[in-house]
Formats: sequence, C-alpha cells, structure tokens
Amino acid sequence: MSPAGDQLTQPRAVHHAVCLGCGCACDDIAVHVFNDRITEARNACALGVRWFGDGVIPSAIRVNGADAALSEALATISTSIKQARQTAIYLAPEITCEAQREAIALGDLVRGVVDTISSATVLPTILASQERGRASATLGEIRNRADVVVFWGVDPNERYPRFPSRYAPEPIGLYVDGGRNGRRVIAVDVGTSRGPADADVRFAVDAQHEVTTLIAAAAMVRKPEMSFDEPLASTAALLAKELRAGRYVALVADAEQQVDAQRAEALITLTQTLNGSTRCALNMLRAGGNRSGAEAVLTAHAGYPTGVSFANGVPLYRPHDSTRSADTALVVGDASQVPADVMARFSGGPVAIIGPRASVHRPAQSQAGLSADERAAQAARAAVVTIDTGIAGIHVNGTALRMDDVPLRLRPSLHRGLDPAEVLRALRERVLQ
Amino acid sequence: MTQLRISGGIVYDPANGVDGIVRDICIDGGTIVDSVSPAATVVDASGMIVMPGGVDIHSHVAGSSVNLARRLLPEEHLAEPVAAPELVDGLARSGAGGTVPTTFTTGYRYAGLGYTTVFDAAVAPVAARTSHAEFDATPIVDGGFFVLLGNDEYLLRLIDAGEQQQARDYAAWIIGAAGGYAIKVVNPGGVELWKRGARERTDLDTPIGSSRVTPRAILETLVDAGNALGLPHAAHIHCNNLGTAGNVTTTLASMRAVEGRRAHFTHLQFHSYGTANGGGWSSGARELIEYVNTNSHVTGDVGQVMFGPATTLTADGPVEYLLATSSGRKWVNVDIELETGCGIVPYTYKNKAAVAALQWAVGLELFLLSADPWRVVLSTDHPNGGSFLAYPELIRLLMDRAYRDDQLKRVNQKLLAGSALLDGIAREYSLNEIAIITRAAPARILGLTRKGHLGVGADADVTVYASDPDVSRMFATPRYVIKGGTLVVEEGQLRRSPSGRRLHVRPGYDPQVERGLREFFDRYATIAFDNYPVGPLRDAPCATTGGR
Repeated sequence: MSPAGDQLTQPRAVHHAVCLGCGCACDDIAVHVFNDRITEARNACALGVRWFGDGVIPSAIRVNGADAALSEALATISTSIKQARQTAIYLAPEITCEAQREAIALGDLVRGVVDTISSATVLPTILASQERGRASATLGEIRNRADVVVFWGVDPNERYPRFPSRYAPEPIGLYVDGGRNGRRVIAVDVGTSRGPADADVRFAVDAQHEVTTLIAAAAMVRKPEMSFDEPLASTAALLAKELRAGRYVALVADAEQQVDAQRAEALITLTQTLNGSTRCALNMLRAGGNRSGAEAVLTAHAGYPTGVSFANGVPLYRPHDSTRSADTALVVGDASQVPADVMARFSGGPVAIIGPRASVHRPAQSQAGLSADERAAQAARAAVVTIDTGIAGIHVNGTALRMDDVPLRLRPSLHRGLDPAEVLRALRERVLQ
Repeated sequence: MTQLRISGGIVYDPANGVDGIVRDICIDGGTIVDSVSPAATVVDASGMIVMPGGVDIHSHVAGSSVNLARRLLPEEHLAEPVAAPELVDGLARSGAGGTVPTTFTTGYRYAGLGYTTVFDAAVAPVAARTSHAEFDATPIVDGGFFVLLGNDEYLLRLIDAGEQQQARDYAAWIIGAAGGYAIKVVNPGGVELWKRGARERTDLDTPIGSSRVTPRAILETLVDAGNALGLPHAAHIHCNNLGTAGNVTTTLASMRAVEGRRAHFTHLQFHSYGTANGGGWSSGARELIEYVNTNSHVTGDVGQVMFGPATTLTADGPVEYLLATSSGRKWVNVDIELETGCGIVPYTYKNKAAVAALQWAVGLELFLLSADPWRVVLSTDHPNGGSFLAYPELIRLLMDRAYRDDQLKRVNQKLLAGSALLDGIAREYSLNEIAIITRAAPARILGLTRKGHLGVGADADVTVYASDPDVSRMFATPRYVIKGGTLVVEEGQLRRSPSGRRLHVRPGYDPQVERGLREFFDRYATIAFDNYPVGPLRDAPCATTGGR
C-alpha cells in the first residue's frame, strides 16, 4: 500500500498512454519521464498537457490537519461512517472504474447514498435519454462514416481540442475518403454558444427558440413539404434540408454546458427522427476524469447511473436529492472539481476526501457570512480526513471509459501515489471490523 | 474446499446415461470424484432430483449493451429493488431486478435457479473490457462471451480480398484480444448495411458493398474459421431478417450454406416464420425443425418467447429500428465503430396479441417437434424473449401437456393456422430430456467437457430439486445448489457467493496478420492497436484444437 518510489533516473517514455483531460480520452500520448517527473506529453493538446502536468502530487495523509498513518485515517473515517445517520459517498473525477466499484460497494454496505458529479452537471441529459432512449454511435463510427457533422452550440476546439482531429471532421474515414473535404460541417450558433469558425455553413438560433427550432426541424425531416408560419421556420427548414442530405449525420452537442431537459429531449428527438430517412447519431460531449465510468459502474451494480440511495437496503433512484440527508461525506476523487454547492452541502458534518490533492485543503473556520463558494472551499478545508492518492491514468492503473462508454486500459507513467481502489478496500475491511 | 456427499438423490445425468437412478454424488474440492471419506459433509437429497448445474448457452448479461439497457429502465428497477441476500460469508450486494437485472442480482438469481454457467451471446470486442468487469461483478456463475464478428470491417475487407486464411488468423487474434470464447455472427452484413442507411431485407447473396462480400460469404468464412481454429463452440449464428414474416426461407438457406459444417443457430424461434396467404405471418417451425432433425451439423437454441415484459436487446440494430417504429416504445441505437451495432427497445409480449402468440407457439413447436434434444436446447434469449427467470414456467409448458393446452386456449389464435401446436402435440418432455436441454446438451454444444455432467472429473456444479408435482415451482426453487464444490444454496436459500471463473479461449494465429491490422488500426481505429487487447485474464484459457 505504500507509495513506491520511482528510482529510475534515466529518461523513459510510456507510449499509448490515455489522457483523461477531457472525455475524448485520446490514447496516443507518449509520456516522457525524467527524474520521476513528466517532461512531455507528446501528442497531447494544451488541455492534455495541463492535465498531465509534471506528475508531481502531494502524498500526505491527514486527520484533522495533522499528519497521520493510513491506518489512523481509515479508522477515523470508519468511525465517522459508523456514527453517521447516513453517509454520502461522492464519486468525483479522476478515479478508475475499479475505484468506483469499491466506492459503490462501500455505499451498499453502509446503506449510504452514492452520487456522482453527473447529478450536478449532466442530469437533464441523463433523464432525457432514460425517457426517450437515444440514437448514437461510438466516436470511431463518426470518424469513419459521418459525411455531415453538426456542431450544435459548441466549438469542440475550446473544451475538446482534439475532437476535430481524432473523430470529426478532419480524419480520413473508412467511408469518408476526403477527410475534412469529404464532410459538410454545419455550425449552429445558439445564443452566444458558437459552433466552430471554419464550418461550411452556419445557422444562428436564439437561445430562447432553440427547442422550438429543434422540434420544427424534426417535423420537417419527417414531412419535408410542411410549412410553418413562423420566423424560425426558414431556419428549421434549411437545417432539415441539410440534415436530410447527409448519408450519416453526426449531431454533436455539449452535455456539460448545462443542457436543460427540454433541449436534451429535443436533440434526441431530432436524431431519432432523422433515422427514418437517413442515418444520424447524437454525440453528447463529456468532460474528462472518467465521469462516464462512474455512471456505467453505478448502473451495472445498482441499476441507475447517478444519485442512488441504499438507505433502505436496496438501491433507489434519487438523482435530484440523494445526498441531502447525509450527515457524513466521503468524496472519492478530485474534490477540487466537485461543484461548490455540492461541497457546501457536505459542510455540516465530517468530510473525508480520498483522492488526488486531497491534502491541499486546511482545517475549517467559522462559516458565518460566507458565500456558497467560500463555504465550499471551507468544507473541503474542514475535511476531517484527507488521503492523497494518485490520479487515474497518470499514477494509477486500471480502466476508464471514454465519453462514448468505450473502455480504455490506462497506462500510468509514474509509480507513486496510493490507488483509491486499494484504500477503499482497506476502508471497507475497517468498517466491517 | 471440502468434501461433500450428495446422498440418496434420484440422479439425472444424461451425458453418462444415468436416467433417474438413486446414487450418491461425491465431491472433493471443485471436482466430482468416485468417493469421499466418511467425514465428508453429507447433503441429504433423499427423494430429491439431482442434476448437473444448469448451463445457459445464450443470454445477455454482461457488457456495454446490456448496461445501456439497464440505464434505459429505471422504472423497472424502481419497481423491483432487491435486497442483499443473507450470506454466511462474503459481502452480499443489493441490486435491482426487472428484465435486465444488475450484475450481482443476475449472479444470485442464476444460482438461485440452479444455473452455474452463463454465456453472454453478443459482445463487441472493442468493449470486451466492460464485459469482463461486469462478469467480475456477477458472482457464482462461470461465464464467458461470444465475440461479434459478422459485420466487422476488417473481416469484410479480408473476405473481399479472398484472404480466407488471414480471416481465420484475424478471428483468432480478435477472440484472444477480447478474451472471448466463440465467434458470434449477428445478421451477417445486415448491420453494416443498416449503418449505410439500408432498411430492406438482406438475402444471403445481397452484396455488402462488393459482390464478393455477402452474408453467405461471411457465414462460410466464420463457420470455417471456428472449425479450423478448433474452438470448443462452433460459430454462433443469428441469421439475417430476424423477426420478419417469411424469414424461415433465409434461415434454411443459411443452414444449407454451411451444410456439413459444425454450426450453431441461435434463437431459432425468431427465425422460423412463414408467410400466410396474402403475405401475413404464419408458423414456419415445422419446415425449420424438419431440416434440423435431419441435418446433424446443425445445433440450435430456441429463444422461446414468454408472455410478459421483456427487453429486446441485440447487435441487430435494424431490427430494433423496425420494432421502435412499430411499437412506439423508447429506443436506443448505438453504432459501434468498425465492428457492430446495438439496439434496445423494451417490449411486452401479450397473449392476446396475434404476433406474440404466434412467436410463443413457434417456440413450443420447435421444442416439441425436435427429434434430438442434444441439438435443440433451451433459451429465451434473455431478456429478448423473456427473462431467464421464466425458464421454470417454460419447462412446465414442455413437460405438462394439459397445462400447455390450457394456455394455448388463452392466446390469440389469429395467426396460428397451420401451427402444429393447434393440431395437438402429445409430447411431454421427461426429466431426463429437461436435463439434456438445460445442462447436458448446452455444455456439449459449448465444448465444455467438465460441465453439464456428473461423471468423475467434472466440475462440481450440481443442482438438487425437491420433487414437486408443480415442475415450475420445482425448477424455480432448487433446494441445494453446489457451484465448484461450494454449497451456494442451502435449504432453498442463497448462502454463499464465490466468484465464478471466466471461460475464454486464446487460439493460435500467424502473427503476420498483425502487420496489416496495425496499419488498419492506425488509419481508422480510435484506439491504439497496443491498447486494444484486454490483456491476461485470471483464469487460464480453455483448450482449442486448431489454429496456428
């Protein structure tokens, strides 16, 4: 369990490493290491380079701010959990599917609640797809087939920088000989959310008319001859015509941009409808750190992708409020990525963090007069226990899912930092004692 | 591991010619042995029925597509939360039921039904890692999966180039890379056509881009590959045109295309429809089963439809598109890069619905007209035709004519004209035949030499049923289940939950095949070639007898 020091002083490289800096999960990174530091993440985009950093991370274990042995830290968390009315186990980013599995097992054991960051970030998209299903594809299918690529209110270059070069529109595909020249790129600017600048054709849609436009476009895909007596009808008609002309249409939107349920449902409806006359796949872009993995593992083990309460000894779906009645929290993963209002919710009781950089937080002060953001920061600082671990894919081995649920084997380049999966297994043993 | 003696039971072990004979079964560790010491733990099975553990040859339980179905069904899971069993050791897990249960619940339920081996019938190799992770979380049962190859882009290219030997080497490579057990063919070429926008029927000689690439060529290539590689299980084939009126013609043509060659045709029921006068639906079961009865190269499982809720879940994307369109139910389609597809539609088979009633009748006809239980075995294509939990009810339909005839009266008769079932089939399956179609034959067809029987050296997977005139109840609630020598069900209660083993193969191949494959990966795949294989598995691979 102790972090193994990397004694190698010769430069070395790990090839085909997976970057979890965003949901693209590019697996062609050559990570160069010298003196136990990452010196280069070749092939990575700027976002990926930041994600890898130099690989240096803290490795402290603290109880109430003081350095402690792992056994003491686990004993303290175990006591908190046993004394709690209910424990919230929160799956933050940057952990493997194996660690997610252990965290869920613990939640089941202690009749806690297990939530994921998806409840706070992409819940409307999840609920809409549970209501309607979806027409989708893995990203390689877009790369190899899509001759029409629609970026709906998103420029992938901003938050998913290698999406265009790895998936679409740039690569030559099995059925898209010309690469970028073989594809028609459509940018739909929704309010201030603009599509890529180099699109072949652009549409502008008022944010308030977005859902209506999607619905109208779906109607016109179904019945091209129909007409609307509305200002947005011409946009919808032109859009529908473009979409119908595609052989295989990829509709790309960003799930992380606070998509509301109606918008998510309308996007699903349009893509499903397009499969009546042509083929179409909806790709909802997702951020990094194996977020999709948390949803998949929780679904496999508990039946729901996020927000599960085990309070009654069985998993129940509580995606809107699963953690509200918890009086103890265990955050597994990178707490700095957890939304402020979620961390603020945990501030009333003991908080433990098992994850990368957990120890950068300090003991709590009074909360009087603090904003939500400040309370969140303080909740993190107030953590009774912090256990620093490695980052999945940089220090920790295991599996992560790409945004389209394709599983990838991680290739950590540095051999230091605890593995949260092992820490959680040890914690479970402690709780069972 | 301890020694066990299952004492005084009436043993049905058809693989060893034992048909209802009272004898003891001795277990040492995970294996069946000749004798055990007097100190061995005794399981008193006096007057009870003893059979090998059940073997499910075709189910959908572990993988990304199954998980997409779970995710689609929160309402089913909310309706049936499942508490953790009270185990005497190990960490018990809660879960959810419905037609697509959670992983731990799936393992517990299979074991609780007396099944100890389960195969997932359709895994996209690119997502194999997820299937292994889900099997790791599906306790008790030994499990494995079949690797989807019937619409694989690289394979289709090799067929187009006439590279049959390379196609075999590629099949060997990808099965090993995925940690799979056998080759699966789903709607050969038809999923690829769906990705290209086609929706019409696919015939055996429909070109898939090139006249050299046809469903027939794909079938022949993969059947030959499975046999040449000496895989323990033959190519497992889901024919073209599933679920359409008149598709029995396609199914028979597919069987003839590989005549004389070992091949397994799955969920025959969904492929055995004729056309009535005027183009409607009718039963094609008689025609189909007559061919199967007289052609020993063919094995099959039935894929029985059971009335009630189901979830249709298949790599056959175009089928689900049609079902979604006709049913109006929610629908998932995911095209999976370079390999296959995935479609999901929740569905309910109603006995008053004409087509569902026909499907139910066709399945029963296939069972009841089958001349060789060793070649036509039980499945519901879980969860497509119904849950595996419906197996006991299905067994009752096969064993109890009066019950079956009574059920027949309750179903919509509109499309049943010409069905042998309406003519009255007197056959009732014996317990020995049930033991064949639920364990001995599936194990034999799968090439599992240590499963499906109770001879010395077999895996100690044993199910003990308390004799009950209601066979449905009897098969639903075994009194004891032993898995690998561990008593997992005692007095009808699940008490232990050991991990199951992974059943997989690693056939040999000419490494030269990797050269062209690497180039293909570099150009078209989104995963690095070196990242594709799942890597070494905990359990050793099962033996193959061919390959290079």
